[in-house]
Amino acid sequence: MIKKSFILFSFFILSPPVFNQMVYEFEDSLQEKRFYSLISEIRCPKCTSGSIASSDAPVSRDLKNKVYELVLDGSTDMEIKTYVSERFGNFSDYRPSLEGPNYFLWFGPFIFLALMLAIFFVKRRV
Amino acid sequence: MNQSLRLLIVILPILILVFFAKVLLLDEDIKFSNFESKNFPAFELNDLNGDPVKALSLDGIKLVNVWASWCITCLVEHPFLTKLGEKNIQIIGLNYKDSDFKANAWLEKHGNPYLFSIYDPRGDLAFDLGVTGAPESYLIVNNQVVGHIQGEMNQTKWETIFLPLITNAKQGS
Repeated sequence: MIKKSFILFSFFILSPPVFNQMVYEFEDSLQEKRFYSLISEIRCPKCTSGSIASSDAPVSRDLKNKVYELVLDGSTDMEIKTYVSERFGNFSDYRPSLEGPNYFLWFGPFIFLALMLAIFFVKRRV
Repeated sequence: MNQSLRLLIVILPILILVFFAKVLLLDEDIKFSNFESKNFPAFELNDLNGDPVKALSLDGIKLVNVWASWCITCLVEHPFLTKLGEKNIQIIGLNYKDSDFKANAWLEKHGNPYLFSIYDPRGDLAFDLGVTGAPESYLIVNNQVVGHIQGEMNQTKWETIFLPLITNAKQGS
């Protein structure tokens, strides 16, 4: 009985998912911090409502490994984001850069708020 | 003033509803980022027979189709690709994260619409192309990637996305 349950238990211990996750090792804590903030700011191209940090899709795993490699190689955050967006599009960046149509993305809500407030006050005066 | 505001309050939600209904019912991918054409990435890989692939073979108008033997949707689009092949469209396969043994067996079983298939077991070239999974298709004109479709290729996507690009390319040359 004990032997049986031991075998059953070892199935859980030795199941493949345990070995599925790559362990990332860094030279210093700054690299580690940058890596984890980068992967939470890059959108998963397959499951587009999450970051690659939250995703286990094969392409996200590749992306994480690549980001890891680039961080160790000494690339800057900007370079890494450009590297990713060159391949997977601007859409891949969760914090879009301040340029072109992205201005609307950043300031649109404030413009909308100002407009609503203006209408509100004009209406109250009448 | 007051009346037009009241009218706005009624009309605005209706407009928003119509907008979202339209977006939801639209049966095609909406691209959130503009697709910019770029050079086909450099690579050093073999085809499924083990012969090295030359970048020169991407001249002219080519369809590059990302596929794998484990990919179920690839089976769905396979008849359409076969039909395209019969219409003299040059299709090059990009075998993605697969084993050559399984891939060749798959082609044997389902037919081979590809001129040849680039064997990319680790997905290196696929990564540089921005492949998110299989199947995906790229339109290549003279070594330039000019179009990209994610998911199954079918008559509608072919006609609405790739055919206009091909017509453009032919007029340009």
